[in-house]
Amino acid sequence: MSLYAYCLGDDIKLEMIGSSGVAEAPVYLIDTRGLAAVVSDFDGAMVPVNRGAVLSHERVVASILAATTPLPFRFGTLVSQEKLESYVESNFEKLLLQLNRVRGSVEMSVKIIWRPEKKDDEGAERSRVVSAETGPGSRFLMAKRRELEESESLKEHGEEIASWLASIVECCVRESVVQVRPGGSLALSAAHLVERHRLEEYRHRVSAGLAERIALRFLTSGPWPPYSFCDLSG
Amino acid sequence: MTDILDDFDENELSLLETFDHVLSRGLVISGQITISVAGVDLIYLGLNVLLSSVETIKEILLSREEAHAEISAIGSAANQLQKPE
Repeated sequence: MSLYAYCLGDDIKLEMIGSSGVAEAPVYLIDTRGLAAVVSDFDGAMVPVNRGAVLSHERVVASILAATTPLPFRFGTLVSQEKLESYVESNFEKLLLQLNRVRGSVEMSVKIIWRPEKKDDEGAERSRVVSAETGPGSRFLMAKRRELEESESLKEHGEEIASWLASIVECCVRESVVQVRPGGSLALSAAHLVERHRLEEYRHRVSAGLAERIALRFLTSGPWPPYSFCDLSG
Repeated sequence: MTDILDDFDENELSLLETFDHVLSRGLVISGQITISVAGVDLIYLGLNVLLSSVETIKEILLSREEAHAEISAIGSAANQLQKPE
């Protein structure tokens, strides 16, 4: 029998838990030096990634988030009680620092989707004309050059979008984790740590941004537990 | 011109976002995660070995067809992993 770990925090109370856990197991707390880990018993060696299990995990963590901001464990964390206590003991100071970092805040997510436009037809036509007059080596190099130019242009555009997004939310965001992904349809993925009392302002500013950049599509979600702000490696 | 987001309803997008967050982020107790996708074990050996991550979700967002291919790829990769003794 293992423990399935959902999240931990320094002010979590049993009555905050509003849902059963993965595989319908009852959820309870294990306290180590005042840090409470939210866990349930799990019978098995692995956790299936399916809708039910993922939603059960998220429901438990979300019920805690409704009352306070915990540090969420990644989905699928199975651990013995001894290992869990050892983990909390050995990372105690770092965990407290992380809890202070996210206290009173939630994570909001913004994904920006674009359709990178191909170079203009004129350029393509010019390439075809030149291609007919040159050998295979030159054609290969020209194609490579064109590819590099497009990639560079997408990167610049992605960075411009990232700067723009940062500028519209900077006044109400405590921290950000932003990944610019110029290669595909998903141009940018951003996680914002927002204080609870500034959520309305944050939402308003992002909504205004939607109206500003009609060529982009936004996928916004939240509030989430601070999944992107739980890095103990630093 | 349709957008990839038009292929999903609100519930599906919400589920994808949930998958994105819970699978690829959060506290990790090194070596303590073992999960499976579509019946195939994915062995997480540590912080640096993450087979299901935001990249997977990105592929799902690109298109459903590509997502199916991605899951197949994950399955193939997982089959090549050596299971712990």
